[in-house]
Amino acid sequence: MSGEKKQYWKTLAEKEGGPEFLRAPAEELSVASPRQFRRRDFMKATGFTLGVAFATGCSRAPVQRALPLLSEPEEFVPGRSLFYSTTCAGCSAGCGVFAKVRDGRPIKLEGNPEHPLSRGGLCATGQASLLGLYDSQRLQHPLKEGKKVSWLEVDRAIQAELARVRNERGTVRVLSGTIPSPTFRAAIQEFLRGFADARHVVYDPLSKSALLDAHAQTHAMRVLPHFHFDKAEVIVSFDADFLGTWISPVEYTAAYRAGRDLGSRHVSYHVQFEPRMSVAGSKADQRFAVAPGEMGLLVTQLTRRVARKAGAWFDESEPESASVTPAFLDELADRLWQARGRTLIVCGTNDSQQQVLTNYLNHLLGNYGTSIDLERPSLQAEGSDHELERLFGELRDGSVQALLIAGANPVFDLPGGEELGDALKKVPLLVSSAERIDETSALAKYVLPEPHYLETWSDTEAISGMVSLRQPTVHPLGETRTLVETIAAWSGKPRSSYDLLRESWKAKIFPRQKKEADFETFWERALEDGFAEVEPGSARPQPFNVRAVIPVLHAQSLAANSFALVLYPTVAMLDGHNAYNPWLHELPDPVTKVTWDNCACVSPATAGRLGLADGDVVRLVTSDSKTLELPTYLQPGQNERVIAVALGYGSRLSARFAKIGPQWIDALLSVGDNGLVGVNAAPLLTLSLGALQYTASEVTVTRTGKQRELASTQTHDTLTVPKRLTPRGSGPRPLIQETSLAAYRKDPHSGVEDHEEKEDLWPTDHPYSGPRWGMVIDLNACTGCSSCVVACQVENNIPVVGRDEIRRNREMHWLRIDRYYSERESGQIEVAYEPLMCQQCENAPCETVCPVLATVHSEDGLNQQVYNRCIGTRYCANNCPYKGRRFNWFNYAHDDQFENLVLNPDVAVRSRGVMEKCTFCVQRIQEAKIEAKCRGERVADGAVGTACQQSCPARAIYFGDLNDPTSQVSKMMADPRRYRLLEELNVRPSVGYLTVVRNRPAEGDERSKEERHG
Amino acid sequence: MTTKRPNSTRLHQYLSSRFLTLVLVVALAFSLLILVPKFNAYAVPGNQRGYEPAQPIAFSHRLHAGELQVQCLYCHSGAEKSRHAGIPAANVCMNCHRFVSAPLGAIRAEDELAKKEKREPQRVVSPEIQKLYDALALDDKMQPDPSKQLRPIAWTKVHNLPDFVYFDHRPHVNAGVRCQKCHGPVETMERVRQVEDLSMGWCVNCHRGVNRTGLDGNGNFTSAPAPAAEGPTPVTHRVYASIDCSTCHY
Amino acid sequence: MAEAAIALRPPLIDGDKTITEVTHDVCAPMEARPTALWWSALFVSSSLLLVGAIAIVYQISVGVGTWGLNRTVGWAFDITNFVFWIGIGHAGTLISAILFLFRQRWRTSVNRAAEAMTIFAVMCAGIFPVIHTGRPWFAYWMFPYPNTRGSLWVNFRSPLVWDFFAISTYLTVSAMFWFIGLLPDLATIRDRATAKWRRKLAGVLSLGWTGSYRAWQRYEVVYLMLAGLGTPLVISVHTIVSWDFATAVLPGWHATIFPPYFVASAIFSGMAMVLTLMIIARKLMHLEDYITIRHIERMSKLVITTSGIVGLAYATEFFTALYSGSSYEQFVFLNRALGPLFWGYWTMVGCNVFVPQLLWFRKVRTCVPAVFVISILVNVGMWFERFIIIVTSLSRDFIPANWFHYAPTRIEVATLVGTFGLFFTLFLLFCRFVPVIAVAEVKGVLKYGKPRMESAHE
Repeated sequence: MSGEKKQYWKTLAEKEGGPEFLRAPAEELSVASPRQFRRRDFMKATGFTLGVAFATGCSRAPVQRALPLLSEPEEFVPGRSLFYSTTCAGCSAGCGVFAKVRDGRPIKLEGNPEHPLSRGGLCATGQASLLGLYDSQRLQHPLKEGKKVSWLEVDRAIQAELARVRNERGTVRVLSGTIPSPTFRAAIQEFLRGFADARHVVYDPLSKSALLDAHAQTHAMRVLPHFHFDKAEVIVSFDADFLGTWISPVEYTAAYRAGRDLGSRHVSYHVQFEPRMSVAGSKADQRFAVAPGEMGLLVTQLTRRVARKAGAWFDESEPESASVTPAFLDELADRLWQARGRTLIVCGTNDSQQQVLTNYLNHLLGNYGTSIDLERPSLQAEGSDHELERLFGELRDGSVQALLIAGANPVFDLPGGEELGDALKKVPLLVSSAERIDETSALAKYVLPEPHYLETWSDTEAISGMVSLRQPTVHPLGETRTLVETIAAWSGKPRSSYDLLRESWKAKIFPRQKKEADFETFWERALEDGFAEVEPGSARPQPFNVRAVIPVLHAQSLAANSFALVLYPTVAMLDGHNAYNPWLHELPDPVTKVTWDNCACVSPATAGRLGLADGDVVRLVTSDSKTLELPTYLQPGQNERVIAVALGYGSRLSARFAKIGPQWIDALLSVGDNGLVGVNAAPLLTLSLGALQYTASEVTVTRTGKQRELASTQTHDTLTVPKRLTPRGSGPRPLIQETSLAAYRKDPHSGVEDHEEKEDLWPTDHPYSGPRWGMVIDLNACTGCSSCVVACQVENNIPVVGRDEIRRNREMHWLRIDRYYSERESGQIEVAYEPLMCQQCENAPCETVCPVLATVHSEDGLNQQVYNRCIGTRYCANNCPYKGRRFNWFNYAHDDQFENLVLNPDVAVRSRGVMEKCTFCVQRIQEAKIEAKCRGERVADGAVGTACQQSCPARAIYFGDLNDPTSQVSKMMADPRRYRLLEELNVRPSVGYLTVVRNRPAEGDERSKEERHG
Repeated sequence: MTTKRPNSTRLHQYLSSRFLTLVLVVALAFSLLILVPKFNAYAVPGNQRGYEPAQPIAFSHRLHAGELQVQCLYCHSGAEKSRHAGIPAANVCMNCHRFVSAPLGAIRAEDELAKKEKREPQRVVSPEIQKLYDALALDDKMQPDPSKQLRPIAWTKVHNLPDFVYFDHRPHVNAGVRCQKCHGPVETMERVRQVEDLSMGWCVNCHRGVNRTGLDGNGNFTSAPAPAAEGPTPVTHRVYASIDCSTCHY
Repeated sequence: MAEAAIALRPPLIDGDKTITEVTHDVCAPMEARPTALWWSALFVSSSLLLVGAIAIVYQISVGVGTWGLNRTVGWAFDITNFVFWIGIGHAGTLISAILFLFRQRWRTSVNRAAEAMTIFAVMCAGIFPVIHTGRPWFAYWMFPYPNTRGSLWVNFRSPLVWDFFAISTYLTVSAMFWFIGLLPDLATIRDRATAKWRRKLAGVLSLGWTGSYRAWQRYEVVYLMLAGLGTPLVISVHTIVSWDFATAVLPGWHATIFPPYFVASAIFSGMAMVLTLMIIARKLMHLEDYITIRHIERMSKLVITTSGIVGLAYATEFFTALYSGSSYEQFVFLNRALGPLFWGYWTMVGCNVFVPQLLWFRKVRTCVPAVFVISILVNVGMWFERFIIIVTSLSRDFIPANWFHYAPTRIEVATLVGTFGLFFTLFLLFCRFVPVIAVAEVKGVLKYGKPRMESAHE
């Protein structure tokens, strides 16, 4: 123990325990060694940091700024829409509209219900014309030889050149389309007065010249009469598409529908003779597909029969017989004669001889003064093809020193555009006032940017004595100036279009009325209403001049295996000045349902003979060897010797659409080989005998072997169950339910398929304590004009997807119009239209299957779609019997910031991968509900109108609260004609349809019903 | 040597797995007890509660709405007739600030100073209010100065909702929901702060509550008469807050 | 005596293997360096997988529009592949669970591979419910979780939500089943392993398996319980998948026969796939002694049974359509047989009903190449079955105005190919790193059907 260290202890135990005891605490420590602690600390630290990271990582949304106005106008409230009454300028018909202005920008056009012509309706073109305002390719500043210059510069230069012309006593011409604005017309006259040889040449690309000329011959006044389709019990139309594109479709549709009201004693009887299937023809009770060469002969034959009854003079030499059976013409003549004074004959051909005969018919039937108004003529078309011909002559021999083209595009929409172009290049001073650079303004030395009609003051006198005002709804978005202002500037007294308008109204319009003594009140009134009724211009028609009547005794015969070419305008494109508008290109044509293309329509029989199928590209060669290459489209109801081609396509304005729609590895361009949408058919027009000819005979058809698939939203062969796949004993699917007037008179319920009301498994699911929204669509009233489709697109920010997507059956329109053909025993093709949107089912199949509750039922009967919740399984769409749902397959581009200004701020713009659909314009419903709530009232009937309903010129759509028995929609729901689509599924849609009622005797009707979908 | 084992094993037992598990379980239970009630309080991504951005003009709601008792709707007049309450246009501010250019204290002080220095007291303009005049391009005489240019005031939005949510002030204000219910005691804030998280759950639960217990939670189901000065004053009617999706999403 | 025994029960394993031989035979391919054949196979399958991956990335970044779907046909390749793969998965659970409960001892040599196949197939299937959505990054919304939306749950009425639960459960249980079954063999690998990392890995995975009596006892109990759990799943999963269609209103989908019909066809396709894989595996890995011709025969018998059920289902569908008197229903089936997709329909009938009839003949059953071809044909047929059911009903439903055809795009085809790539890649890796045959179980049946005295002899 010596070597041992000396020990000390406090207690015995310690002593006993010895060093081990002392060592023990060390072990104790070592058990929980610092290493473990460190790990624990580490864990704690990590956890803490992670926690902090998460807490702070809760990212803040990006900073949003809000810039209030510095000084706020009285009526302006951010987030509230204001409606300004103005006048549509989509075409020269001059329909009254309300422009919905939200936070300073117009976002929607609504028909003005008070307007005596349009009566609240608006056509597809009108609806779409809004987009023109936000077109980023619109001219923003004047151009001199294609270079940007200031207005001052342009004015100086032009004034100088004009002065020179004036001194040289040179010829000055103004070329324009029909100008319905009295102020504008006056301004042009004012402008021309200063020159020695000056003339204002007016032409219409869709010419009505012959119609006016005919009245010049028969009534010694060159006017376009004002037709009243509501006053006619028998309507006979010779190739006049008065419900689609002829003169004033919205007005005529409204009137036509009024004349066909099943409640009234007389339901008008409509007979249509036409070479191709037009919108008007598709609604006719009797429709005959006659070759254009036969039209004159038909008019003559009908005239003779009526003349006999009237005991009036008519050339007695017996003409050859036409394809329409004499028996039918006799019967028609009888009907006409019985209803004389209450009938209307219209002729759409641009042939003055036929027009004169038509006038004679109307004269014999005493329609002048009743259904045809010459005292208050229409000013919607006043072009003269004679004048045009003269101008062409002058241009050819280069005698024109100065030519001012006001908003017209003759190089594109007139025959011989190329030669005309060369002739125009010869004109020393060529000034064009246009909204965009088109075929014509591209040639002009000076281009003056016209403002969009929603940016300016103007007026319209569509019907003599019916003047409507046009007021700006937004500050001009570019350095634009109306031609009226420009002319004023040239005259040395520059004034704003507002002053100019007021001046001319004070001077010319105000005196023509007695109601208001004071101009200001009159002006205010007109401004608020959007129109004013004044005395018509003093035009007194002369007694009918029979000597002008020359019968047509022979049908133009066609050589074997050659065809008659018919060039027609479509509802969307009209004369082609809308070619810049993607909404209209995407709009399916009411009849063909083709989008993003024009095509050569041939009858199925002919196609069979020529071995043509849809999409086969054919070459059309006219007698004067002009050619056109177009894809074929098989069009039932078309005359077998006719090839029909749409005008207005192939405009350079459509060059911009090459890459519209989603771009991905398999995407196709929306334009054709020419880099444009469709092909321009105008070169095949002919300007001869003082009239533009829209038909050409002796056209040969050869197939090129090329293929171009047409982007059609419906193809006729998929509209019916193929015969060999139809189960035995099962009739046609009762999607269109129709009856005849006779049957309807006996039993209003006739033609409706009954289904016993199945018991509801969930009677307490939806109590509907408040309102319950429902819709009824009158299929008899619907003309398929498709204005609702565009209205819906504008209201609900529906994207444009382009040709390729539509070809893949991915169009986004929430509202589509199904078009059904049926064949009568007589072989006549009949058409029925069925607008179809989400049916807002009570037992909605889509609601049960959505995994994330993105589509659920609302307490007021809506089938809600919550875009931000949707993950896009598409299960709902699969399970929808009506296929009313649309899916965002891609992020449909909204990259044109300028164009985005048109978006409706009340509707979310849907992102990619989201399902969307019609919700009865729920944003409007919410607005109305909130307004009512704030007043502590129920939502009144009519307080909510869906976009489609509001826009419908035929008033075919009823919408409202089904829980309110007094509401119009409940009354229509109770109508015996009402049926529901696929009622047997018991999904209980909130949309009802009213049967189609054809004005014809009952017999044979049943058979035609059998043969529907055949 | 032999005494060592028992010791260490005893220690070992104390720190045996069973003991540790016990401790852990207790700890876990304890922390859960603490955390769970607070669960909703934790900010999830996107929660903007507490957002209190600086504004181009240091406008004090405490002063205006609190001390001076200016009604909310005097400036935010949109709240009762539009979906947006709106930020007042500068000309609304000028209704008062044409005359009031600085706090009373500052003006008094200037007067004192002027008296001391035996001179005319000059006009005092507080720097913040000066920004307002600059925005309107006004000179010292309160007259528009053509040389300057108008500069709108870029306020920073405090209460932001996602684009797919359509909130409308009208039904709330007209039904008599107090502004503070959603915006908090603004009248006490120097700079406005987002008090509620504005999450969907927050909206929906309030709507549910209203339908269950009425606006003020005491079974009163009749909405207060609208604070609307002009326009038809709403007839008293049953308060009802819909919880349909399409109330806010369309 | 011996002859009697042999005559009485044919042995399950050929070649008089000793227990060591068994272990060696099965483990050999794992321990040897991978063959060139294996490498090339892996190369092919993984490049297919890559193709699929690219397709999916492109589709997710650009949009579902890159598929051939349209507003009429909202589902086609995506859901077809989903149902197809889920179906494939069924054989595994059937073999491992149901046959186990029925004491079908021959299962021992195929169950391991079959279970692996199940898991891989379900993985392939699982891809589609996610990527078929328009916004896959929100696909998790299909799962109910507490949220600040006050609170917004999922739609428990929606079959897609049921799917979610069914599949996740199925995947978990089959994975567990597979893993538990693996334990003894993992231990074997551990014990045989020479490489250190391998020993460690296997050691961890085998959860310290000692092979003690207690361990075995517990193991048996757990395995039995899992088998009990697995059995109802075989029925439930595909029943629920079939409800995706059966609960819809579409003619041709809205049918009460779907659950049994789908389960049967699932087992049918699964068995076929097991056959395909087994025939390849036994050839490449020289396991003819373990996966004997008798195994193939037995599975062929299962195939023909289920084929019969499927055929019956097809017939019944037509009958119900006829009997229902609903013209829509009748049309759909006329359209399937004679419509634009008739070729698909008849491929399906041909491959699923007519071709398997050959298996009635012993000659065919015992001819491996024949069985192999048939099994592949059956898989083709089963894919078409799902495709026809989904696409024909969608493309031509109630309103003819909506009718539209469907054609797949390159992206879709690439995605399908990619899933096969994934499947085979995984399977190849499985063959490489896990005993393809349940060594422990096979040892149990080694002496099965062999004369007793041999063992007495020693």
